[in-house]
Amino acid sequence: MPHIKLPEGLPGISGLMVCRPETSQPLNELAQALLRANNTLSTSDRELVAAYVSSLNECHYCRSIHGAIAAHHLQGDEKLVSHVTRDYSSSAISAKLKALLYVAGKVWRGGKHVTADDVQEARKHGATDQDIHDTVLIAAAFCMFNRYVDGLATWQPQNPEFYRSRGALVAEQGYLNLKREPISLVD
Amino acid sequence: MHPDMKPLFLPDVEHNPKPSTQAEVIRLMQNSDSEYPQILHLFAYKPEATQHLTRFTREVMRGHSPLTDGFRELIAAYTSARNDCAF
Repeated sequence: MPHIKLPEGLPGISGLMVCRPETSQPLNELAQALLRANNTLSTSDRELVAAYVSSLNECHYCRSIHGAIAAHHLQGDEKLVSHVTRDYSSSAISAKLKALLYVAGKVWRGGKHVTADDVQEARKHGATDQDIHDTVLIAAAFCMFNRYVDGLATWQPQNPEFYRSRGALVAEQGYLNLKREPISLVD
Repeated sequence: MHPDMKPLFLPDVEHNPKPSTQAEVIRLMQNSDSEYPQILHLFAYKPEATQHLTRFTREVMRGHSPLTDGFRELIAAYTSARNDCAF
């Protein structure tokens, strides 16, 4: 049960977004700019960074929804997504993405944990300064989103089908002008 | 550069500010060898993302709220202290 009164039937961040439109508008614009706008990193790589950081924060809603969005961008490869969030180092992703996820994990522990060597290692595998910059910003932003969602104890469905269908919708439409309608789900 | 300042890990970010208020401030500070917070380089690198962050910050820190502006700044300063982020 949420710590404060939130609209019913809106899970995770969606109830918070409806309850506070003034702050949710720029947050959605930020998500769109970070995860969707043209970038040297693919949308699935960026969603994987978001899902990975959310899994480190044990934020079920964010990990599941961004994992589902990543899977949709990866032709439905949910196995790969769960492998990445569980143990990316043994998963079938590029060495560059592994090095960027390592940096994201450091940001999760605290910004000062990122070292010049970590950055150098990512560069060695082909990451540009922009790739590294965006990875750090996405990781930092998701530490905020995760704490926002869990700090108010929002309702987070356990049914994977919810995330699958919602993830497909977000993957196709992006983060702006998303319809947020109450749902009823038996977990 | 001011003697107390170190280069960023990401030289492309440091040396490629986009036209913005922050880029203007960086130029003025550098021309006078003054010390300045390097978050300005981050803000000037991606003005598109920065404008959303700025709008969010303005709303959450100064928008309508039962919490006073001063108390909200104390929450921000306290959290930053716990994160060991001096700026």
